[in-house]
Amino acid sequence: MLCEKCKKRTATVFYNENINGKTRSYSLCGECAAQLREKGELQDITSMIGSFADPFSSLHNDLFGSFFGIPARVSSGNNKTCPECGMTFREIAQNGKVGCPNCYSTFADELSGLIQSVHGTTTHTGSVPSRHRVKQERTEKLKTLRTELQGAIANEEYEKAASLRDEIHKLETENGKETI
Amino acid sequence: MAWYNTTGKASDTVISSRVRLARNLVGYPFDGKLDPAAASEMIEKISVPLEASGFRKINFSDISPIMATSYVERHYVSPEFATKTSPRALFLQENGGIAVMVGEEDHLRIQSILSGLSLKEAYENARRVEQRLDEDFDFAYSEQLGYLTHCPTNLGTGMRASVMMFLPALTAGGYMDSLAAQLSKIGLTVRGLFGEGSGAAGCMYQISNQISLGISEEEILKKLTDAIMQVSESERKLRTEITGEAMEQLTDRICRSEGILRYAYRMSSSEFLKLFADVRFGIALGIVTDITYEQLGTLLVEAMPATLTLSAESGLKNEAARDRFRCEKIQKILNPSE
Repeated sequence: MLCEKCKKRTATVFYNENINGKTRSYSLCGECAAQLREKGELQDITSMIGSFADPFSSLHNDLFGSFFGIPARVSSGNNKTCPECGMTFREIAQNGKVGCPNCYSTFADELSGLIQSVHGTTTHTGSVPSRHRVKQERTEKLKTLRTELQGAIANEEYEKAASLRDEIHKLETENGKETI
Repeated sequence: MAWYNTTGKASDTVISSRVRLARNLVGYPFDGKLDPAAASEMIEKISVPLEASGFRKINFSDISPIMATSYVERHYVSPEFATKTSPRALFLQENGGIAVMVGEEDHLRIQSILSGLSLKEAYENARRVEQRLDEDFDFAYSEQLGYLTHCPTNLGTGMRASVMMFLPALTAGGYMDSLAAQLSKIGLTVRGLFGEGSGAAGCMYQISNQISLGISEEEILKKLTDAIMQVSESERKLRTEITGEAMEQLTDRICRSEGILRYAYRMSSSEFLKLFADVRFGIALGIVTDITYEQLGTLLVEAMPATLTLSAESGLKNEAARDRFRCEKIQKILNPSE
């Protein structure tokens, strides 16, 4: 990605600004970011976020800041802690790295901006672990069975409906076991 | 035979191809939150299927720093893995260039490195090991984000494919910065010889995918392979444009470099990398005919400081002794019969 200001150098500094619900992303190269900081323009962006926007946007700024080389501004708004590993969002913002797989669910909202900015998407395509493949197949089978069940009930085929219900129940139990 | 002693496809522009898959086990926190006892337990668990598949286990807590650095020079481990202090182990299968780092930033870094342009084979090698481990272990994964990794930059496939290119003409022409900018537009990154933060020594550059989420393994391989072919073509075209006096001067420099490489008495590793680049360029241009890519590939590992020091029977007391021994080593590899 090229810097949106000079349109020559590679962008290495990313800012997300969220004002009254409208998100605007900035992608700048180190030199242009430094120039803007010197002029005080980049400072304006951060102070604007601090005063108008929702509390998360300034956290996003910390995250991008530390991750991409701008000193992190320590924020006090978010005290959320991952129940699995005890990681706080502030630590993630400072290191750019999470504490355990569960952090991705705990901090899903806070991290989605970063993930979107790094990868340009937040949805996986590609290979799936075997355990999840089985589960994904079961989830799809469940969908089909539920449709069939509704059809069977509508047609008053109660015997068929009962066996479908048993099958659904069995698959649901199997899927439930593996989410633990 | 190790990957660096062989010659692969497109050797005039490509030194090696590498694919790594990052995986983490459910039930263990990531590096930083993982206590040493849990890390050791995890290494023990992973040892079982890997050792049964013929991998050699190297416990990095038990080896000397110089031995650890030598694995970096052979591109089997990252510089970070070599220098960290927490429990960690390397599982190595030199045939196929397959290395599994356990206890790097992610629990598992499964990688295959091969000579020349062989991204597909490198991926298949790494994937085979990953599939074997997938039978025994539950990998951290979410339908939304794919394989969950310590750093959000590796989410999705957890895959980094990289090709080490040899680009003397593009370097000399001053095209590398604009090339890097163009590649970054399509989601590819350019780095130096030993990865992140390392400088571009000997006209060698690693080109790799920046993005791992929302793109499948096959798409990553295709995108990178297409880019490598294009860069190779630009490099080759530029090489054919060197004519007349410029070619005479280049030939003179290459012949002198070959002479120094063959007959010098003492040589630093940075001087070696400069001569390496000239001589490798000389082979590609048909100027150097009695040195092979395999010999240079072997030198690129054997003449590096740590690997070199390890191969000296009586040890090397200082830098001067190492620079002297480097020349003995080079002569031995270039003239195996003597």
